[in-house]
This record gives sequence, structure tokens and C-alpha cells, in this order.
Amino acid sequence: MTKNLFLSAFVLFLTFSGFAQKVEFTEYDLDNGLHVILHEDNTAPVVTVGVMYHVGAKDEAKGRTGFAHFFEHLLFEGTENIERGEWFNIVAANGGSNNANTTQDRTYYYETFPSNALELGLWMESERMLHPVINQVGVDTQNEVVKEEKRSRIDNAPYGKVAYSTGINPYMFDKHPYKNSVIGTMEDLDAAQLDEFKAFFDKYYNPNNATLVVAGDIDIDETKKMIKSYFGPIPSGEEVERVNIKEDPIQEKIVATEYDSNIQIPLKVLVYRTPSMKDRDAYVLDMISTLLTDGKSSRMYKRMVDDEQIALQVLAFARSMEDYGTYVIGALPLGDTSLEKLTQVMDEEIEKLQSELISEREYQKLQNKFENRFVNSNSSIQGIAGSLATYNMLYDNTDLINEEIEIYESITREEIQEVAKKYLKENKRLELDYLPESNE
Amino acid sequence: MKRNIVTLIVFCLVATGMMAQIDRSEMPKPGPAPKINIGEPKTFSLKNGLKVLVVENDKLPRVTASLIIDNKPYTEKKPGTSSMVSALLGTGTENISKDKFNEEIDFLGARVSFGSESASASSLSKFFPRVMELMADGALNPVFKQEEFDSEQKKLIESLKSNQKDVGTIASRLSSALAYGENHPYGQYTSVESVEEINLQDVENAYRNYFVPENAFLVIVGDIKKRQAKKLVKEYFGDWKKATPPGTTLPQVKPAQYTQIDFVDMPNAVQSQIIAQNTVDLEMKDPDYFPVLVMNQILGGSFGSYLNMNLREDKGYTYGARSSIGASRYASRFRASAGVRNAVTDSAVVEILKEVERIRNENVDSDKLEDTKKKFAGNFVMRLEQPSTIASYALNIETNNLPEDFYETYLEKINAVSVVDVKRVAQKYLKIDEMQIVVAGKGSEVAENLEKVEFNGKNVPVLYFNKETEKIDKPVFSKEIPEGVTVETVYDNYIKAIGGKSAVDDVNKVMMKGSASIQGTVITITRKLTKDGKQIEEVAMQGTTMQKDVFNGQKGYVEARGQKMDYTEDQIQAKKKTAGLFAELKVPEGVELTSIEKMNDEDAYVIQVSENIREFYSVENGLKLATETTVEQMGQTATTTMKYSDYQEKNGVKFPMTLSQDMGPQTLDIKIEELKVNEGVSNSDFE
Repeated sequence: MTKNLFLSAFVLFLTFSGFAQKVEFTEYDLDNGLHVILHEDNTAPVVTVGVMYHVGAKDEAKGRTGFAHFFEHLLFEGTENIERGEWFNIVAANGGSNNANTTQDRTYYYETFPSNALELGLWMESERMLHPVINQVGVDTQNEVVKEEKRSRIDNAPYGKVAYSTGINPYMFDKHPYKNSVIGTMEDLDAAQLDEFKAFFDKYYNPNNATLVVAGDIDIDETKKMIKSYFGPIPSGEEVERVNIKEDPIQEKIVATEYDSNIQIPLKVLVYRTPSMKDRDAYVLDMISTLLTDGKSSRMYKRMVDDEQIALQVLAFARSMEDYGTYVIGALPLGDTSLEKLTQVMDEEIEKLQSELISEREYQKLQNKFENRFVNSNSSIQGIAGSLATYNMLYDNTDLINEEIEIYESITREEIQEVAKKYLKENKRLELDYLPESNE
Repeated sequence: MKRNIVTLIVFCLVATGMMAQIDRSEMPKPGPAPKINIGEPKTFSLKNGLKVLVVENDKLPRVTASLIIDNKPYTEKKPGTSSMVSALLGTGTENISKDKFNEEIDFLGARVSFGSESASASSLSKFFPRVMELMADGALNPVFKQEEFDSEQKKLIESLKSNQKDVGTIASRLSSALAYGENHPYGQYTSVESVEEINLQDVENAYRNYFVPENAFLVIVGDIKKRQAKKLVKEYFGDWKKATPPGTTLPQVKPAQYTQIDFVDMPNAVQSQIIAQNTVDLEMKDPDYFPVLVMNQILGGSFGSYLNMNLREDKGYTYGARSSIGASRYASRFRASAGVRNAVTDSAVVEILKEVERIRNENVDSDKLEDTKKKFAGNFVMRLEQPSTIASYALNIETNNLPEDFYETYLEKINAVSVVDVKRVAQKYLKIDEMQIVVAGKGSEVAENLEKVEFNGKNVPVLYFNKETEKIDKPVFSKEIPEGVTVETVYDNYIKAIGGKSAVDDVNKVMMKGSASIQGTVITITRKLTKDGKQIEEVAMQGTTMQKDVFNGQKGYVEARGQKMDYTEDQIQAKKKTAGLFAELKVPEGVELTSIEKMNDEDAYVIQVSENIREFYSVENGLKLATETTVEQMGQTATTTMKYSDYQEKNGVKFPMTLSQDMGPQTLDIKIEELKVNEGVSNSDFE
């Protein structure tokens, strides 16, 4: 490193750059079961404090879709020592930023601060875990806010039902709660009562169901002491029983139509049910997405958008989750192209994957792309914190932050072909026509 | 640019020691403020004018290069031309075909993209030299082919179409056009029509004119040394021919004449997008820049801002309300925006204006001001985590003519902003009397209430626009007709509402007499109606008949001031459908349920009875609310509306006891004083 960069105050840590790729971390449990992960990187005076709770939309009670996400909003309302409405002001007044998000599987809260506010961040998250104030005022206000969030993100947004899976998952899952959406329905949101929120907190928001991550410009020993002071006294709760629902395999092609009043160009999507994100096959499918649609030379883009000009855009992505995933392949028609034509071409591309090995050159291309992705994935402290918590909680293997690339490196061309054969079957998929809804 | 390193102490963050024992009820104080250093990029220039900035940072084995051509903005003759330039760059060069180009970039796991006056590339450092070569080749040696042009034009048109129902896109389009004017580069927008006019030559010309090194900067950040960078840049950009872009003058940006709501109808919207805006004359180098930053942060720059705390946390109208103020050498604007549900659109507009008034008139709480400054300090520290920040700071200093120490003294200047400054710049830059409040939303649900919006005791006028940003007359907003509702059900409901079929069947004729007052003169009106479709209306003043309108079921006439005019064939046909008692008992041919519209603030089913007659039936209670007749006279169309209200029962059937006739700006209210059922009417009346 050259010394005219901004790092000269941290000369001691320059050796760190020798291991540029590796994210060093230590992890341990407190007596109350809270899992702690610490990552020290003193190159910039920034610290992220994050807590991930192992509870998401899939843990919701029947008739209470959207509850976990609604609850996430409530946990910004204040604590016994933080007055209502003050949470965001405290963060801002200390130069920080914060947010939270909820998925089917987990809920994650974090603050990023200049590193001199580390203790403040620990205090705030421990306050939230120990004694948040959950009251009717908060429930009433956040009920409206969450509904507006739903309108903004889904109901008023072009292709919102595909982007947020609300137009897909009900077809893909029959028994598993993944069939419901994270944002929930207006009726269910209205039905949620104060008592239920309190019970939800008692059941899921315990240290033994959470992972605390602290990353950035910290001193490991001092940070450990502070964590013990702030989080140590929080009592643990009962062990959480995980959702354990097995879906029957899809036996017959599902054909469906959804309408969106915010679009003018339809979308054809083919959706497959895939295994847990932890499964090796999920990684293979991820590579297949890249092969099909990432970059202008990717198979579907080149053929459908560029050469044959039948599609305005193509897409393929895996939505990975803890118990199952969905795998979406789709295209927007260009001009008069019919949705049937798009399906036919997508099917040809899928068949090609199943019948032929990808070329050596394409294989090397995939490896280069994943190496590039890996290097970029750990480029910010906030991002590293989120990844550490996710790998620990959902994959049960924090080391993946450094080792996941090895999984991709070990996937062979033959495996890609096998996985394409195993999952991308016509009789096991949803064929969705996503059409404009007329309203004029 | 200065070469020495400046060490900054972030003095906003107060230093205190760490506490030994924790007391939860006390918020922990921050530790000693971190020291930060703003480094400076290494720089060099090429003879052709290209200036290069290099930030060396080997934390990760990757490099990013961005080419930015800082030309003055210009108005496009055919909007969309620059989009076509960027779409066509990268589709083949003098040295490599499109397919080979794309394949190689993907193979290297790299990203390369082009704008009309920019380009960027990123890759692992081991592949960077080749990636940089490909980017330079794509940017500097393009070959524009007709075939690619046709394909990209088609795609651009299609994607423009695809945005037509996106509330955010339309709101932003209208707000830009209104703020800057459609002849300003920031106000013009790309339409399907304008793209259709573009040809290959236009694209070539735009590229040749504007993709030149005169105002170009190349920023290289990452795992690379200046020495290597210089070698690559000289090799790949050294031959870029020196040239200057055409000079342009920008049209003047004019403020709105008065505060107004500018509405565009989005029938699909479940949320309205609101953008309250005014243009500002503000540059980064102005002394007001820092007070304005702080003022905006307090008003709507963060979660805890006035706007968000009111509209989201207090009222629950929105997922988020924010504001921003741009600073530019050319033109910029203040904007406060929120997406709010339809039902609260008008209230949200009022609350946004209230908060703007508040920051203009109230002193900001001094603690809040201090907290806001700390947020700037924190953001400043955290932005430095990304090495590209150093480059963008240096670039800003260069392109915006800022003093060399702009960023070194940045926090000092933020810290100097006072309560008085905040109020002063709020009054200067938030132009409460010249504000355009752009609303894109569902007209049938929100427009009526928007028209009632008052601010500071004055009604805020609503102007209407179409999606193409053209001003239009107020449109008729109709709601969707629910499934299963037809002319038959509307008529049935009406008959039920007035007493039911059997009661109605017992009524054969009706006579009603009422009076109204026109400019102090009392007139009497007599109406006689029969079940078989005969009808008389007679208007008298002081016992003298002024006008008589008679229809006997087959033909009719109008007599006024001694002149008698027979019905035309059209009038006869129309009258056959509406005249007499309870025409709704049967559905005549050609009658159509067209929409739901407002009548007297009430949702009404609209039934088109004939070309010139529409009747309105309450959605809520089924009663007939009005008959609207359009008459053409000497090339002018005039609409008169007869409204029915105050329904009262007689012989088991409800009749409207007040009839209000709209006549231009006047209304004639007829109060029925005498109502006879099955008496008071004889056949001879209709002769």
C-alpha cells in the first residue's frame, strides 16, 4: 500500500493486505446461547453491529402472514431505555446508519457507525433483545406503514409479484409456509393483535436464537468484554422448534396466469422447486443461472435478445431459502413474439443443457465470473457482517465466507448437466403467464 | 492538486473515556473520535486533454476504470439519440466483432458498459490490462451498423412502452418537464415518437460531436500502480483524437407562477407519487451550499427528518418521505417526495407543505441541529471506506471549480451552520409560493379531494397533464364497473329503491307542481307524466306561461314566447327512451352502462341513453341522481344537468322533491310543492 492513501494512521495493520481475500473472524457462544462472530479490519474507522434472529415469515402462525416482517418494524419503536421515536435519531446523531430486513427464514437488524460508537451499537442491540417496548401505538402506526410498504414494493411496482414471489410461491408450495409472502396480506396484517406480538417476542427473540456479529475497526478483546457486559445478562429462552414440513414432489406441470396492472409487456416465467440453499445442487443451479443469463454472451441473452430478437429481456435466478428454493427462468417478449415461442426457445436451451456438456471455454468463463463475484462480495464491512451472520445461521458454517468459492470451483461440467436433468423437468414446473391487467 | 496528506479530526464526535461499569439507563457516549485522512489520487494528463486520476488500493485484487466526459448538457433534437449512442457502443469496433467482444468480457468475468458520454470497466486485477483495452476499443473505435441500430431502436421503443404504467416513471417525467421546461436537457424526455425519428446518422453525429477528450476524465481505482496505469492509458487512449464538443446555450429555467398541483392520471395506481418541487440556483461552490445541505437533512434527508417523522411515523401515510436539493453548474431543484395510498393523497400534500413552511418559519431545535451535523461527520467518515470516494472528491473539485481544500474543510463548514442559517436558506431556496406539486395517481379516487386542498387559507389550483407532459382540460375520471353490474341491474335497483315493482306498477300518472326563484322572480313549474311515456313541462311566471314542452309518446313540440317548434326526429327518438314515468321498467335498445363517475360528490353509474343524454344512478342507494343533456347549437355544445334529490314517498313510491337544473354557472332549484299520483292528468293535456 502506498502511503498517500488514507490508511497511514493504521500502519500496524498493513500486513493485513497480504491476506486480502481472507476474512478473518473469531466466533464463540455466550452462556445464554448467543452466538458471537467478530471480524477485525482496521483499514477504515467503521464498525457494523448486527443481530440476526432465526425467525422469519415461515415461522408465522396460520392466518398471520406478514407477521414476522410487521414485528421487525415494531422493534424500532423503542425500549425501556430508548424512548419511542428516538431509535433513528440516536443512530443519526452518532453519525451512523441502520436498517433491518426480514426473509422467509430470518430477521436481521444492523447499525453501521464510525468506530468510536461501537459501544453505543452494542447497547442499542442489547436493549432491543432485552426489553423492547411493544405497545398498541406502535402496532397501529406500523400497520399503516407496512401496508404502504406493500403498496410501494409490490402493488404499485411493475412485475412486483414476480420480484417478490407473491405471484409464484402460492403455486410452488402446498404445505410449506413458503407458499405465503413475507409482506403478508392486508387482512392478516389487520388481524394481528398486541398480545400475539408479545408472545412472538418471547418465543423467538432470545439470545439462544440469535447471532451477534461485530465487524470492522475494533479491538477483539475489548469488544468481547463489552459484549459480555451488554448481552451476558439477557436470559435465554426455550429452544425454538424449527419448521419441518416436507413438500410432496410436483408431479404435473402447473399452468397459471397472473395479472399486473402496472405493466404493458407480459412476462413468461418457468419456475422449478429446488432443494435447500445448503444443498450442493443449489450451488450448481446458481452456476446454471449465470450460464443462461449473466452477461451478453450468456446463452439465453445472446440467442433471444441479440441473435433472434424475440425477447426484450431474459432472466434466470435462484431464490435460495433454508428449506427449499425456487428457480426462475423467464423472458419478456419483444414485439409480436408469443409467450409460447419464448417457452419453446427456453425449453430448447434447457434441453441443450441436459443433453450436452457445456464447453471447456464456458466452464472457464463461469469460474472467472464466480471468482470475480467472490472478490467483490467482501468489499464492505457492512456486507461482510451480513454474510458472516447468514453463513453461520442459515448454512451452519461461518467458514463459507472464505470457502464458498471452493464449492463453485469443485463443480464439474458433468455435474451441471446432471443437475439440469434432475431439476429442470417440464412436469415439475410452473408455467406462468404474467400479463398486463387492463384498467383504462 | 495538492500532494500532501491532510489529517482530519472529526471534531463533531465528542471524545470521552469508556465507562468501566455499564449502566443500561445511560446511553453510552462515543469514544475518542477516529482520525481520518483524505488521500489524494495521483494524476496525469494526456496530450489530447484526457485527465487521469489513479487511486492505488490493493486491499482486494480488483480494478475499476471509469471514463467520464464532463460536457455541458445540451438539448437533443431527437430525444433518445444519446440513449441510442450508449446502446450501440459495444456492438462492434474496427478491431473486434460484437460477439467476440461480449464473449471475451464475460469470459474474463469482467463488466464493461458504455454511456453516451461515459464508459466503465471492472475486473480482477489479473485481467485488467485486457479489459481496459476492450473498454477503450469499444469506446473509441466503434462501428455503428444499421442492423444493430434497428435492433436497439426496437428494444428502446419497447422498453419505453413498458414504463407507461409505472407511476414513478411518469411522475418523474412530468416533474422534470415542468421544472426545467421541455426544451431544457433536464426537462426533455424520450418518447416512442422521438425515438422513431432517429436514424443511424444522428447516432454517428452525436457520438462524433460529444465523445471527445476535451472534458474527459479517466478514474482508475484499485489494485494497480500509477506507473502501470499510465502505461495502459497511454497505449489505449493515446490515439484518441483531440477535439472540443459543440458549444451550447441552455434555455432559461423559469419558476412556476404560483403554487399548484400538477396532476397526471394513472388509473392503475394504488399509491400516488407526490413530488413537491421548485428549481434552485445553487452550486457546490456557493457559500450557501453547506447550510442548504444541513437544512435539507433536517427537512427530509433522513429517517428522523420532519417529513418522514410526520408522514410515516406519525400519520402512517407512507413507507417513506424524503427531500433533496441538487447543486449544479447548470440547473437543479428542490424536491420533497413520497408514495402515499390513494385515500390520503390530499392530506399528504398538505402535510408536505406544512413541513416546508415549518422549516421556513420555525427555528430548528439546536440539539437537532447538532445531531444533524454529527450525522454528516459520520457519513463523511464512512464514505471513506470505499477507495473510489477519494477519486470522486478530487473529480468534484476539478469539475465544480471548488477550492482545493473543499473536502478538508467540509466538516468545519458543516459545523459552522447556525439555527439562523437554516431558516435563512429555507426561506431562500424553498419557494413556498412557486411550488409545483406533481401528483401521479388514480384520478377517480384522488382528484376530487386534491381540488379541495387549501394551504395558508387559499385553495391550491389543480392543473391536469397527460402522460406526455402536455397540459389538458380536467379529464372525466371514471371508476371501473364492478363485475356483474349491467344496465338491467342498475334499472332494477332503481325500481327497488323507489318502492319496488308492484308499487311502481300501480302508478299510472303523476302531476307535480313546484316553484323556483330566478333573480328574485318566482316561477312555477308543472310536470305531468304518464306511464305510457307522455310528458309535459310547463314554466309560468306570474300566471303567464313562458315555456311549454309537450311529448305525447309519438311526437312533441316546444312552445316559448309564442313560437312553436316541433321536435326533430332525433329528439323524438331520444324522448321515447326517457320520457314518462319510470322508463327504467324496461331496457330499450342501444342503452349502455359506460362508467362510474361522481355526481354531487357521490359515485354514480352512468347510463348513456342516447348520444346526447346520460343518466346517473347512485352506486350506494340506487336512486336516480341526474339526467345530463348535451345540446349542440350553432357549432357549440352546451350541457345541462337536471339533478334529483330529496326523495319522498307518495303511494308507496319515492319521488324527488327537489329538481335542480344546471344552466351554465347558474342553478335553478325547483321545490315540488304539490304531488298527485293517478290524478290531475288528463289525455287532453298532451294534445
